[in-house]
Amino acid sequence: MSRILALLVPLLATAPALAGGQPPRATIEFGAPSMWGNPAFWVFLVLAAGSLGLAIFTITRRNAVMAVVGLVGSFFCLAGIYVLLYAHFLAVMQILVYAGAIMVLFVFVIMVLGREESEPWALRSLFTKVVGVCALFLLGYVVLRLVPTPALAAKGGAPPTSFGTVGAFGDVLFKEYLFPFEAVSLLLLLAVIGAIVIARGKRAPRAEDAPAPGAPKESR
Amino acid sequence: MVPLGYYLILAAGLFAVGALGAILRRNALIVLMSLELMLNAANLTLVAFARAHHDMRGHVLAFLVIAVAAAEAAVGLAIVVGVFRTRKTVAVDEINEMKF
Repeated sequence: MSRILALLVPLLATAPALAGGQPPRATIEFGAPSMWGNPAFWVFLVLAAGSLGLAIFTITRRNAVMAVVGLVGSFFCLAGIYVLLYAHFLAVMQILVYAGAIMVLFVFVIMVLGREESEPWALRSLFTKVVGVCALFLLGYVVLRLVPTPALAAKGGAPPTSFGTVGAFGDVLFKEYLFPFEAVSLLLLLAVIGAIVIARGKRAPRAEDAPAPGAPKESR
Repeated sequence: MVPLGYYLILAAGLFAVGALGAILRRNALIVLMSLELMLNAANLTLVAFARAHHDMRGHVLAFLVIAVAAAEAAVGLAIVVGVFRTRKTVAVDEINEMKF
């Protein structure tokens, strides 16, 4: 443990240099006192706390069904944040595809094999995991140093009225990104076929290749 | 408007929670859910930058990420079901035949 810490200390010391020295805290946008009077900011805070809290709720649950419920709530909060970011179409897609389709898939699989686990945390190979957790904290530190830099301050002004609508979205998708769109359709087809082939397992024995009477039964 | 930095901090937090879940949990289903969480964090970053630069291409990229995540969830869950059928377990640290 002390070796890891000794490894981390110089890294932490170099992080401000990565962020370009001491970033000035008082930028035009970030941390402005007028922000607290903005109702959108309060909405953002509530949704952010909801999504983050429900994400933590998800990964700490013993019961997988409760984890799915938490994740659905987290995705709903994220959809609200997308609306705050003028991404209306994407917010609807988030609810339809993520909170709807993918989570239902999870619930079905939990229904097939769900049992509560006796010991939910995998702490057997502790060393690599400690390294991973330390790396995550380092990531958080660097992000917290980098994010308030003025280079990341948003361009001022509201976006054009068509921003985030289905029309503008389709315009970009079918003019500039037609090939990725078609590639994704092929990928989804392959995923469906692959999922069926993998999950189906062995086919049930047909009548003509049933084992002869007296032969030992094949165990699956 | 809310500054871009707050969205990035939230995305980093969500990614960290997802990565912690993927590293520390044993249940393969929870690991897959953590993967979804990390993909969502990346999506949030894309949408936040699209908003900051008034550029719809970030939305399209996030949409494609959602589609790929759906494919990943389908195949991943099928693999979990297949492994459970042969091994009777979904604990990721007990599936170590190919580890050396």
